[in-house]
Amino acid sequence: MALLEIKNLCARVGEKEILKNFSLTINEGEIHAIMGPNGSGKSTLSNVIAGHPAYEVTSGEIYFKGLNVLEMTPDERANSGIFLAFQYPTELPGVGTALFLKTAMNAKLKFLGKPELDAVTFMKKLKVRANALGITDEMLKRPVNVGFSGGEKKKMETFQMAFLEPDFCILDEMDSGLDIDALRVVSTGVNVMREPKRSFLIITHYQRLLDYIEPDYVHIMVDGRIVESGDKNLALKLEEKGYESYK
Amino acid sequence: MKAINNLCLMGMNGVLADTPLKEGVNEIIVPENTLFEAKILHIFSDISLKILLVGDRSKCDVKIVYLCNKNNNYNINIEVIHEHKNTLSNHQIKGVLTDNAKMVLNGVIRMPKDSQKCEGFLNHRGVLLSENASVKVTPELEIFADDVKCSHGSAIGALDENQLFYLLARGIDKITAQKILLKAYLSDLLPDVWDEYIDDWMAKNVSTHV
Ligand SMILES: Nc1ncnc2c1ncn2[C@@H]1O[C@H](COP(=O)(O)OP(=O)(O)OP(=O)(O)O)[C@@H](O)[C@H]1O
Ligand SMILES: [Mg+2]
Repeated sequence: MALLEIKNLCARVGEKEILKNFSLTINEGEIHAIMGPNGSGKSTLSNVIAGHPAYEVTSGEIYFKGLNVLEMTPDERANSGIFLAFQYPTELPGVGTALFLKTAMNAKLKFLGKPELDAVTFMKKLKVRANALGITDEMLKRPVNVGFSGGEKKKMETFQMAFLEPDFCILDEMDSGLDIDALRVVSTGVNVMREPKRSFLIITHYQRLLDYIEPDYVHIMVDGRIVESGDKNLALKLEEKGYESYK
Repeated sequence: MKAINNLCLMGMNGVLADTPLKEGVNEIIVPENTLFEAKILHIFSDISLKILLVGDRSKCDVKIVYLCNKNNNYNINIEVIHEHKNTLSNHQIKGVLTDNAKMVLNGVIRMPKDSQKCEGFLNHRGVLLSENASVKVTPELEIFADDVKCSHGSAIGALDENQLFYLLARGIDKITAQKILLKAYLSDLLPDVWDEYIDDWMAKNVSTHV
């Protein structure tokens, strides 16, 4: 069954058209990878799905679990199960990480009509997820992303994802800035989340990541739309030939 | 609710005087070796401070948080005079405005000819929650001494769109997200005892249409 359906999506920032008739369907349990040159619109796509106000959708549709995503606020999208691990995570000075995650978790539980987590259960869950992704207690005590290295920020994004257990995960260049060990840890973190009903959209520049997280489909995105789709071998071909033939 | 405040004169041996802020100009004379400390939460009145640093190594450290809503129109007037050499002044001011509120901040730092080795700083940040709210800042540095450090800074704007979006993208609703960011922004100037006032103000004044 389709989890996410994007139909003929056009979007812009200011006067600039970035997404041009972008279409993609992701079924439950699938992993899709998108590769594409700098500036082709990959992060724009992520932000449009998550509902960033700077991006204006001029036409097209997005459905998630059959719901019209474009009519939902960003927090409704998140609570319905969409998670975006940002390419450039934002720093929130003065906002403690633990409080932030507790607020996020309770918002989701409330949205789903479930009771909030008590303090003990929350801490336990937080610690389990943190340990698995190499997030230290010290990092949890700091304000969200403040002063974290590039790689640490990426780990934090993956950790938040594991903690909030969304149904659809967009990973926007989660491998950029990660050292080899961290890449393995984070990839394992993603792989253990694989479930028949959970899907992933993985944006990357490097075929190497797809050795760790094996995609069902690979799409090549150029100038705001998908120009070719295939299986994981497409990434290998791309590694060899580059984007020249698509331009 | 009245503006609450806490003015405190600290000498080397502890508190010298603890005075409430009054209407009109509050003139504070800071003698030798003394720190004047003020933490002011400004909700419903004007504030005028005239601080005279008259003794060797006298200092002042003033933190002001202001919250303005509706059609309120307030002034904060600060005048610091470094009458003696080796004196230090530091003013940190942060505020939040909504509806049609207007704030005028006049900050003057004076360093006469003999006030060598003085340092004077005044920093302001204002967050606007509505397009109709505004802050006007008129900084004035009147410096006649040459061996001094002095600066005046001000930044005014809405909450950061990307920070707000980050919270929303994690499922936190817009009102809660704004409150989290405002509290974080004020936190370095905010003694815990004011939490209740701030929470109360935010509950009444933070809305979804920003
Ligand atoms: N908020 C914005 N304001 C102005 N221009 C933007 C904004 N966001 C994206 N753009 C522009 O839109 C185009 C697509 O950007 P986008 O970030 O989606 O590319 P990308 O495919 O993610 O690139 P990269 O691989 O470098 O991350 C670029 O030309 C970029 O400069
Ligand atoms: Mg990008």
